[in-house]
Amino acid sequence: MAVTELTSPLAPTLPDGAATAGHDSWRDRRRARRAEHRSMARLTLGTSRAARWGAIVALVVLAVVWLVPFLWAIDTSFKSETDAASSASWFPAAGFTVQAYREVLGHGDVLRWMLNSTVVSVAVTLLTVLISAMAAYAFSRTTFRGRKVLLGLTVAAIMVPGQILIVPLFQQMQAFGLVDTLAGVILPQIVAPVMVFILKGFFDAIPEELLDAARIDGAGPWRLFWTIVVPLSRSILVAVAIFVFIGAWNNFLWPFIVTNDPNLMTLPVGLSTVKNAYGVQYAQTMAAAMVAALPLLVVFMVFQRRIVQGIATTGMGGQ
Amino acid sequence: MTARRRPGYAPAGPVPPGRGPGGGPGMSRRGFLQAALVGAGAVAIGGALAGCATGADGSGRTTVRIWDLFSGADGANMQTMQAAAMKANPDVSIQSVTLAWGSAYYTKLAMASSGGRPPEAAVMHMSRLAGYAPGGLLEPYDLDKLAEVGIRKENFAPAVWERATYQGELYALPLDTHPFISFYNPKIAKQAGLLGSDGKLVSLDGVDTFLDAGREMAKVTGKTGMAFGYLLDTAQAWRLFWGLYGQTGAGYELVPGKAAQLDEKAATEVIELMQSILDGKVVPANQDYAGAIASFTTGRSGLILSGEWELPAFKAAIPDVGGMPLPTLLGTPANYADSHSFVLPKQAHPDPARRDATYRVLANLLSQGSLTWASAGHIPAYQPVLSKPEYQKLTPQRDYAHAGEIVVLDPAVWFAGAGSDFQARMCDAMSASLQGKAKAKSAVDGMLREMDRLLKTPNPA
Amino acid sequence: MTVSSTPAVGQAADRPGRHAGPAPRPAADGVRTRRGVRDRSGYLFVLPFVIAGGLFLAWPIVSGLWMSLTNRSLTGLGSEFIGFDNYVEAFKDPQVWQTLWQTLLFTILSTIPLVLVGLVMALLVHTGLPGQWLWRTSFFASYLLPSAVVASVFVWIFQPDIGLANTLLDKVGLGPVGWLTDKGVAMLSIAMVTVWWTVGFNFLLYLAALQGIPGTLYEAATIDGAGGWRRLFSITLPQLGKVTGIILVLQILASLKVFDQVYLMTAGGPNGSTRPILEYVYDTGFTNYRLGYASAISYVFFAIILVLTLLRLLPSRKGR
Repeated sequence: MAVTELTSPLAPTLPDGAATAGHDSWRDRRRARRAEHRSMARLTLGTSRAARWGAIVALVVLAVVWLVPFLWAIDTSFKSETDAASSASWFPAAGFTVQAYREVLGHGDVLRWMLNSTVVSVAVTLLTVLISAMAAYAFSRTTFRGRKVLLGLTVAAIMVPGQILIVPLFQQMQAFGLVDTLAGVILPQIVAPVMVFILKGFFDAIPEELLDAARIDGAGPWRLFWTIVVPLSRSILVAVAIFVFIGAWNNFLWPFIVTNDPNLMTLPVGLSTVKNAYGVQYAQTMAAAMVAALPLLVVFMVFQRRIVQGIATTGMGGQ
Repeated sequence: MTARRRPGYAPAGPVPPGRGPGGGPGMSRRGFLQAALVGAGAVAIGGALAGCATGADGSGRTTVRIWDLFSGADGANMQTMQAAAMKANPDVSIQSVTLAWGSAYYTKLAMASSGGRPPEAAVMHMSRLAGYAPGGLLEPYDLDKLAEVGIRKENFAPAVWERATYQGELYALPLDTHPFISFYNPKIAKQAGLLGSDGKLVSLDGVDTFLDAGREMAKVTGKTGMAFGYLLDTAQAWRLFWGLYGQTGAGYELVPGKAAQLDEKAATEVIELMQSILDGKVVPANQDYAGAIASFTTGRSGLILSGEWELPAFKAAIPDVGGMPLPTLLGTPANYADSHSFVLPKQAHPDPARRDATYRVLANLLSQGSLTWASAGHIPAYQPVLSKPEYQKLTPQRDYAHAGEIVVLDPAVWFAGAGSDFQARMCDAMSASLQGKAKAKSAVDGMLREMDRLLKTPNPA
Repeated sequence: MTVSSTPAVGQAADRPGRHAGPAPRPAADGVRTRRGVRDRSGYLFVLPFVIAGGLFLAWPIVSGLWMSLTNRSLTGLGSEFIGFDNYVEAFKDPQVWQTLWQTLLFTILSTIPLVLVGLVMALLVHTGLPGQWLWRTSFFASYLLPSAVVASVFVWIFQPDIGLANTLLDKVGLGPVGWLTDKGVAMLSIAMVTVWWTVGFNFLLYLAALQGIPGTLYEAATIDGAGGWRRLFSITLPQLGKVTGIILVLQILASLKVFDQVYLMTAGGPNGSTRPILEYVYDTGFTNYRLGYASAISYVFFAIILVLTLLRLLPSRKGR
């Protein structure tokens, strides 16, 4: 099958060059990007020095405002409790220490919640992407009785804000015996009509001839889905996955409602619900917050362009 | 448990069909997706298993989960007591969980009970019992089983036992009485000339005496004389108010379905008094809970109005910290207090082995742990402890132990109690007036309005 | 190269309007021709989604509606049908109106800066000035924080006595501000924190849209002698009109559903002055056990969101 060669229909949405590219082309692309930035600067700012400096100053001011809370939290997390509680100085009297991190990590709770968050987010992401892609394929490429009605319902469902359902959902989880289980946290999060809608839009753009060619080769619907639709839509699937993952990782309300057992809490819920037994401790609170913030931040810094692209693609919610 | 959880992950099922069409150039991507899916399934099931493992504790010991809300400074003592209880019951593993204090704790506890998998035991303020026992969220204690583990009615003060009972059944096992009192820093008090010949703070009874003392101490600290954190707190303002209201000797009546009966004149007088205390000199007008503690422990104020549960934190910073009941500012000695107790949240599937272990653990915490508990400042409810010489040696505990005899408790109505929406509403209603942004009368009007509203609400418990 | 993301946005951005309408694009015509083939596998493909949607979306909507007509309690007591009593109570409950108003107030206070600041950030970064990675990271990283982290960091910064905010004010000779404790300020503080937290999202959407503006437009304008400001006002901003509309709607809908940061920072206080309606639903249903009444309030809120959503769909239809 010549399927993999046929990347052209969706070429613009596929990752730039991707894995096949070597180091040279990576450098080339970097150079190209630089050149592009320079020409963009010329186009938007013109040649005016004042405009250039004005823009730089504005950027620096904004960046400082946006980074200071981070820096302050990090700074506090490396202080001793006494220093943290006595004054708002950037440089603590007793010097910096990793004591707060030692306490937080030694306690074990934070790591346990991180594991839970990982399990929940990975499961939510994979399940959401899988069932959304399958449904999108069904809406885009198959005919069955009730297709239009279901599609209409899916579009209508986009307008339902999940948050208003917390009360009946809790009651339902109670009836299913899923309160205080990971399944109870995961399952209600996997229904994402908007993702079905976005994916359907992309699947629609795949030329029918490609599928026909495969059909002539005797491929069944499963095979069409896995060998043509999915590979051709890899980029949008990754975009949807990134979006869903961030949402699931940071989701607070539902996990907060459905988990009471701290062993099953996700990171945001555990951090805000469970306290340690030793009173208000600013340095430890900040250390725990930073530990909780770290995984997504690191992932972001490494995959920045991918994530930026994913958010930009899916963020509009198919608008 | 595993068997029950697995169906939840069933949607991972469609994986095998995807595996079917092997070969072809698309293989690697497909392989990747499939591997990812299988991986997710494994992780999810692994998670479920891990969740299960916490129930049984690999070594075969019975797990007893106990929730508490000791985010104050005495959580450490509870840990010590529980460690001792585990030592005495080697077949039991206690899994202790501390949740954020306040309405969040009680909401979670109710949701856990109603969800069917609550902890085996939980700490509850006795003032909350009226909102839990009637609704069927708790299970009553089996008095015979309690007697088997050595806990009897005679071990408690009759009034306390009475308050722990609902419709003839015991729903709460009282642990302590914890009054809202005053602590002082002897060094600062001495410099302010407020220490008596016995090394204790002189009596601060009477409004003027109290305010003067505050100003004297402010001169010493250079900041404020006293500390009291109430901003954004959903209980502190109420604790002080209700204690002082008790000192006026005025009565009240809160009966669901009827209008609230409160002595408005006395209440206004109390708010005015609080306003004059929160003048920015005697006590900062804008202090939150943590800020007040920090202010007192770092010597920026000489006295703090605080629950006695903060004693360990104070002792850590000021080893010779002194304590005494809330000064009698308004005539009648009275001291706001509440009481911690252990309750048994209702289980959907009760496990006799765990139930049995729970009784043994709780009995141990009460009879053996009470002395440790008292070291954190609380007055033990288990009375045999009070007569022990070890208890009589504890300072400043014995200096304020008599606060336990003049206690004012929250009204026994379903919506009131520690961490309740009621307390939060009362604190909210007072907030503007206490910050000096509104008249005292408006706080009282607001409180009455809220009381009336709550009394009119259908009782869902 | 980042331009590669824009067609995707463009594509995604074009879709719903067209597909909501009855006449699909040519690609979908393939579907029509396939209709003769009677590809029944569609049922199997759509089944997992339908089951999940039925269980976790459709059923709660129905059961919630039923619940709102009962006096159901969290304790399991009382599930009697009481007709529209809950709705009558909700319309007379000043707390419902107050929390609803506060939700709207928050939406206004947060949406405007969230859109404007996001736009300014994107415009500045789009100039192509050096340090792209740093700017993007600074502006977007906060969006990746869990609400609990944002809340604890800002509760600490806003700490009245020794927090960073009041210390800085003190240094420049200003008195302390009750960031989260002053009735008049708390809502503003929460809106500010929300801007800090989520503006990165709008920033990215704007940036993607900016990258989609063809460079030839600028080049033509430059040749015509248009200066920087002229280009901004006559090319850039008009080109962003559509994306602004979308961001505005997404933002309003997101802000209306505020819960996390308020619950975690002030729990609705001081004096309930920051409590949004979702928190009132939570308080009513779970803290005060009244599931039935909480459902009724949810549905009143749902109706309002639905009306708003439909209202915005109308003009966009006409526009096409």
